[in-house]
Amino acid sequence: MQPLERGQLGVMRLHAAVLALVLCAAATAAEAVLAARVEAMPPGLVLGPVLALSAFLVLFSPGRRYRAWAYAMTEDELRIAFGVWTRVQTHVPLARVQHIDVIQGPVERAFGVCRLVLHTAGTANSRVVLPGLSRAAAEAIRDEVRARIGREEEA
Amino acid sequence: MTDAGRPAATGAEPETVADRRVHPATVPVRFLKNAPSALLGLPAAYAYVSRGDWSGMLAVAGVGILVVLGLHWLAWRRFRYGVGTNDVVIESGLLTRTRRSIPFDRIQDVDIERGPLQRLFGLATVRIETGGSASDEGLIDSVTLPEADALRAAVRAGKAQVRTGEIEAAPALPAARPIFEMGLGRVLVAGVFNFSLVYLAGLFGALQTFRGVLPFDIDDPGRWIGLVEDQARVGVGVGAIVAVALLAMIVGLVLGIARTLAADYRFRLSVEGARFRRTRGLFTRSDVVLPKARVQLALLRTGPLRRAFGWGSLQFQTLGGVVAGGQRQSVAPLATTAEMGEIMHEQGRLSMPDEAAMEKVSSRHVLRILPTRLGLPLAAILGASAVWPPALFALPLLGAMLVVAVLERRFHRYALGDDLLFIRSGVWRQELWIVPTARLQTLTLTRSWLQRRLGLASVLVDTAGAPMLGGPRIVDLSLARAQALMDRLARAARG
Repeated sequence: MQPLERGQLGVMRLHAAVLALVLCAAATAAEAVLAARVEAMPPGLVLGPVLALSAFLVLFSPGRRYRAWAYAMTEDELRIAFGVWTRVQTHVPLARVQHIDVIQGPVERAFGVCRLVLHTAGTANSRVVLPGLSRAAAEAIRDEVRARIGREEEA
Repeated sequence: MTDAGRPAATGAEPETVADRRVHPATVPVRFLKNAPSALLGLPAAYAYVSRGDWSGMLAVAGVGILVVLGLHWLAWRRFRYGVGTNDVVIESGLLTRTRRSIPFDRIQDVDIERGPLQRLFGLATVRIETGGSASDEGLIDSVTLPEADALRAAVRAGKAQVRTGEIEAAPALPAARPIFEMGLGRVLVAGVFNFSLVYLAGLFGALQTFRGVLPFDIDDPGRWIGLVEDQARVGVGVGAIVAVALLAMIVGLVLGIARTLAADYRFRLSVEGARFRRTRGLFTRSDVVLPKARVQLALLRTGPLRRAFGWGSLQFQTLGGVVAGGQRQSVAPLATTAEMGEIMHEQGRLSMPDEAAMEKVSSRHVLRILPTRLGLPLAAILGASAVWPPALFALPLLGAMLVVAVLERRFHRYALGDDLLFIRSGVWRQELWIVPTARLQTLTLTRSWLQRRLGLASVLVDTAGAPMLGGPRIVDLSLARAQALMDRLARAARG
């Protein structure tokens, strides 16, 4: 199994930072309101735990999630593993891929990664996403799958 | 209803002409169908006239009816369809004209449905099914029954021509051969098994809505039971409760039978070449076609009593097609194992599992489900005992939960045959999934925190055309077995 590009860690951390910022802003507001209403409220009653949570979200969580991701491209299938609490391993038989997208958002572009989306005819798992690939790697996988879809249809 | 007849198979015309209209009786049928909701507008009209004199109100209502009839008539005038050499064309729209062309090779099949009003007028709705998601994509509402059959035949013949590239006479359709039918007796028995208190709850919900107009207070069971209570002041409890429970059972039973009668009356499944054809229904007769090749899996359901008689219900999950009632189509509401085996055999790919080959999941499955099966009731009992100490007497119930957990593991079995995956689960109501490995889309192995501590893993298989929740899954295999199964499934899925 191959790890994701290093840039994906940056993407995850940035997303976590945005979330943490929103949480902290809300906590600060709540703290201000409470301080005005409640007598003798110990300072940091709300902000403290939220700051700790934010530190966990930004400093620890992205690394753990990043390390949980891995993928492997075999001859007939793409294998993807992810998940920290619930470990998930998905096998997508290439013959089942209906179409395939390579997507790069602005944040991903800044970190030089993109994400591959495999669409199958399935239901619960009809969209299998593999983030954190270099453009070259994503396009290589896409071309291989595309060639394969072409072959299946001729057969 | 012009007599343009069957589509001219000359191949010369460049564009299909939409020259046919639906039956004129469609106008009154649609009007009557919408009448109940239009009636709700009457009080508004009444308020509008404000002085509250009846003649004014009737005048408003009369004008309203005329306007609505006129609109329906206009819609009828502006709706045309036609069948060409390569496609079906539907033109509609009052102001904005829409011309929709549905190529034959995009058409999955043609379904015919008949509601009670339509049957009164001898009409039918034709639904041209494409893989698309919009349900009114190819709706022709309504034509006479012979015209509907002719349309279906024309589309099928057209499809066959497109496929073979042959313009000459279309191949004759294979004759329908019934393979499963349900007489009235069987439908009634199926209704008994459809006994459900859920609908009773629904009935209560409806009563809630109309509580203002009901002569009794439904929120006060004391008053309900009071009917009995008044007569016997002493020792009410038991007798009244039994009476109410009995009443609930009877209502549940009647509702179950009525529901089943409405849906499955004169249920018939037949085979026409490469398709199943199912007709059923008391008020609304539906005629649905299920191509054999589009069946993704079979789901066999049974309950404790049905199991004792060797009965169950069989559904096929199909790909695409926007058929009312979801993507899992009932092909046998109540059938014996042998009958269900025959239907599956007819499909070609499916068959019943070899019971001896069905393996149990890991024995640690019992441990893994204990926290939910035992932990939650325990917490509830302890919580209740804090308020009301006698609640502790419910503790022996936990023993029963333990038995259930052990049974759950006993009944959760799986087997991977040459080209079929079998999964069975459920203690009280059992499900048996029969999935052709060639139909597997993606395979997923998941391990939750607890599963990793116990060395377990679950295997989920995704198939096409399934509802979002509740797909086939094997829960709590030992990790080594789960991985071996994943590898075997992946190899089988490659074909």
